[in-house]
Amino acid sequence: MRLRDLVPLVAFALAGCAHSSMVLLPDEDGGHGQVAILESDGKPTEAVVTDANSRATLGGSPSIKPLGASGLKADEAALVGDLPPPPKSFTLYFLEGTTEMTPESAPVLEELRAEIAKRPGAEVQVTGHTDTVGNDADNDALSQKRAEEILNLLASKGFDRSIMSAVGRGERELKVPTGDNVSSPVNRRVEVIVR
Amino acid sequence: MVAKSLFLMSLTALAVFPAHAEIARVKSSSGSAIVQRGTNHIPAKSGQELLAGDYLVTGKDGRIALTFIDNTRFAVGPNSRIAVSTFEYDRTRQTGSFVTQVDRGSLAIVSGKIAKSGRDAMKVRTPNSLLGVRGTRFIVEVPK
Repeated sequence: MRLRDLVPLVAFALAGCAHSSMVLLPDEDGGHGQVAILESDGKPTEAVVTDANSRATLGGSPSIKPLGASGLKADEAALVGDLPPPPKSFTLYFLEGTTEMTPESAPVLEELRAEIAKRPGAEVQVTGHTDTVGNDADNDALSQKRAEEILNLLASKGFDRSIMSAVGRGERELKVPTGDNVSSPVNRRVEVIVR
Repeated sequence: MVAKSLFLMSLTALAVFPAHAEIARVKSSSGSAIVQRGTNHIPAKSGQELLAGDYLVTGKDGRIALTFIDNTRFAVGPNSRIAVSTFEYDRTRQTGSFVTQVDRGSLAIVSGKIAKSGRDAMKVRTPNSLLGVRGTRFIVEVPK
């Protein structure tokens, strides 16, 4: 075999070695999480990528290195730039036991409408939250029912029903922490998440 | 008795997460970009819903950006083939499990509620590795 016949072979071998890789980035809020490499080539590993702006090869024994001054490659930066914006949350309050919005919440409805309009492919989750009065199961049912009521209200005000869904979170996500069985108008709310 | 409790269990499972439920929506796409569902090839236009088991497939000029119902966000790069193999999510408790398989191409991920719900509740599989996602933003690249 002559040398020039070897060249394509070498190129092929190099391409075959092109490693899968990953890059850990800082979160948008400045912190960062971790990615564990649980398995490599079918074998369990203990490797964990813990530092933001590190690149790890995948397969074989993982090598983890800082990105360095050169940072992300152009195609990687383009990929990150293409991520959808984070979901946005709006809180609505209602007069107790009614579907009548408090005066403070009325303008929020218009902000909500504007947010949906500027997001192509928007999807909207109407989430009911209760206070800690009553047991968990009752509050799950109550918050679900509340979310469905408000979804219907929004639909009647021209919001597209086909992009909305109702979820009851019960008393799991209190706006203001309280003990059990504490009545709290601040915790009885509907959160609308626009994705 | 057993049959009855199995029946009740399946009812509960349905209530928590109905089969064929929407798990994500496409926000934007460009170039050759499709959602492959079984033998169906659906254009990945903005607003297109995703179901568990769907593949995201892009050509050399293709891109897809999407957001899941647990707030996870994906950006799929060109020449990619990516499956959402498992997506189970209890929207009331905000817990679940999420497995994505990157056969080829590139994927940027910002993890959401599922990743927060338990250690390695969100995993990403590549042809030669398995990753456990612990609440973060990262990129996976699998060259052809």
